Amino acid sequence: MTKHVIYWIFAVCLAMGLLLLMIGLADTVPNAGGQPHPEYPGMVIGADGAARLAHIGSLAFLFNSLLLTLVVGLCVLGVSERHRSRKFLAGMGGSWLLMLLIWWMMFSTHQEFLVMGETGYFMGFPIPTAWQMYGTWLGAIPLIVMYSYGFRTFIYTHEDEAEFDALLKHASRSSQQE
Amino acid sequence: MEAYRQEIIVGSVVIYMLFCVATGLWAMRRTHDSSDFFVAGRGLGPIVVALALFSSTLSGFGFVGGPGLVYSIGVSSFWMVVISSTGYAVGFFLVAKRIRMIAELRDCLSLPDVVAARYGSDAVRFLIALTIVLGVMGYLATQILAMAVVMQAILSGTETFANIGLVSCVVISSAVLIFYCVTGGIIASVYTDVVQGFIMMIAGSLILMTAVSVFDGGMQEATAIILADDSEAIMPFGSAGVMASLGWFFVFGLGLAGQPHLITKMMMNKKMSDNRSILPMSLFGYVMAALLWISIGIVMRAAVIDGVVEPLALPDDAASTFLSIFANPLLAGVVFAGLFAAIMSTSDAFLNIGTAAIIHDIPKALRGRSVDNELFWARVVTVLLAIVAAGFALYSHYADATLVALLGAFGWGTFAASIFPVVAVGLNWRGATVAGAVTAISAALLINFVVQLAGMVLPYGISGPLVAFVTSMILFIGVSLLTKKPELAPDIEKVLRI
Repeated sequence: MTKHVIYWIFAVCLAMGLLLLMIGLADTVPNAGGQPHPEYPGMVIGADGAARLAHIGSLAFLFNSLLLTLVVGLCVLGVSERHRSRKFLAGMGGSWLLMLLIWWMMFSTHQEFLVMGETGYFMGFPIPTAWQMYGTWLGAIPLIVMYSYGFRTFIYTHEDEAEFDALLKHASRSSQQE
Repeated sequence: MEAYRQEIIVGSVVIYMLFCVATGLWAMRRTHDSSDFFVAGRGLGPIVVALALFSSTLSGFGFVGGPGLVYSIGVSSFWMVVISSTGYAVGFFLVAKRIRMIAELRDCLSLPDVVAARYGSDAVRFLIALTIVLGVMGYLATQILAMAVVMQAILSGTETFANIGLVSCVVISSAVLIFYCVTGGIIASVYTDVVQGFIMMIAGSLILMTAVSVFDGGMQEATAIILADDSEAIMPFGSAGVMASLGWFFVFGLGLAGQPHLITKMMMNKKMSDNRSILPMSLFGYVMAALLWISIGIVMRAAVIDGVVEPLALPDDAASTFLSIFANPLLAGVVFAGLFAAIMSTSDAFLNIGTAAIIHDIPKALRGRSVDNELFWARVVTVLLAIVAAGFALYSHYADATLVALLGAFGWGTFAASIFPVVAVGLNWRGATVAGAVTAISAALLINFVVQLAGMVLPYGISGPLVAFVTSMILFIGVSLLTKKPELAPDIEKVLRI
């Protein structure tokens, strides 16, 4: 299946393009991109959050879900086909689910705030923003751990190194003969 | 100490600039040929590459424009920062290994060299080199102007230089930049980056501690003040809205692997296995430095709403006002040195890749070989490029900002849209074709240029670079699938399989 990962990536990109088009053609909301603060020049306010998401909320949610899928798909593409073991794919699948979970928590807690008008705080920020700030930052850590700790297993094994060294030697011999 | 605030700040900046000059002189003795000048002879250790990578990522924009953006549009601009972990991960998975392998195998000096080796095409080499030259001019001009404006603001606070002009500040700051870039090439550039990176990390963490202490209730009190004024500003999508935020998430995240001044640094490490430690170190440095971006912006917005600080004339004044009101003079000195470090570390990287494009890649694409005596011409063109960029900067400031604004359109977003598919995807997919690459680069340039020229405003804050990026990805893969699968050179075929 991962042999054809480029087709998956292409399908995700096409879907994202389609979503962008749908969002671009959706009913517009005045000042959806913000409006000047009534008192302080240079500041922009968002005002009615619920209205801004009314026509495109679910499309935007889907867009970012696809973006996170694209991120994981690209990381899979970056690993040689022969190293895409079950262990590697399980790690990638886990990373993908974690990032989707963080995105869902951010989006849903924001929706709750828009309905209820109340929020708790975590480490200095309102809960939805804390999911964005700390969650998004930390959500990619499994990918980084897989790269760093799995470097000799998935990215550049000792066999890969030997193969590349042989390639370098061959290239060096060829250039000397020329 | 407060009485000597201005002297302490000026002293910190002078010490920093003297360090840059000394590094240039030291590196000159280690620069023997164009390989040393452009890729440091591919002999750098992991700490040097990691610090150079992150300090080049965070330009002066991060120290001035970043806090200004948070002040202006709230949490929307956080998306440019929090995506860094994903962006670095994608960049290393897709680019770090294969760009380093091709660079060593084919003795490449630049990104267009690697692209030409991958596709066996001088047309692709030319387009990438052209994109780099256009982008470099816009980036360099804005960085030089930022450097001069900050220098003027610092010096005009002293009695001796109270009336110093902007032109003099452009000359002084450009002279230091040119000196160490010309004498020491990329070696001077990366070793100054190391110190620049450390200064930025220290500045970021100290500023966070200062910012948290501004309100008795710490950061929570600051965010609660903003929430009470306009809740959307402190919610995940900020004042600019969901699509503007997700657009930055896309373009700044994936786009990191399309920035030529960053991925060129992935060609410079001595050992391939160093990549496993370079990735976490770069990310750690970036996060530490970016704390400044977030904390100053939030605290200044809350402080103005709460009446602690007068409203700012411009959002970009957020950092300098914060430093003058809340920061100890020594900390202000470190941060201003950090600001120059951030600007210079990006500028020197752009000078280097711009010079390589002009004397190495474009001649190679047009006539099959680069110029003779590359090292000499590299130094000459570095000087000329910086002078032309400084000229653009002054022209845009005094006469007409349109030109630099147009060139600025060829910034991060255009690099992301035009270079990411061709390099990051192309280095990992043997089916990528020359037709796909040419189509993707051309479409990305065209869309960004048209959106900028026409001043188009898309609904819901959708940005031109986002549209360009998605389109170029679709075209790159789609056209490659439709065109004949290329026959790759045997050594490149093997590299793409490893």
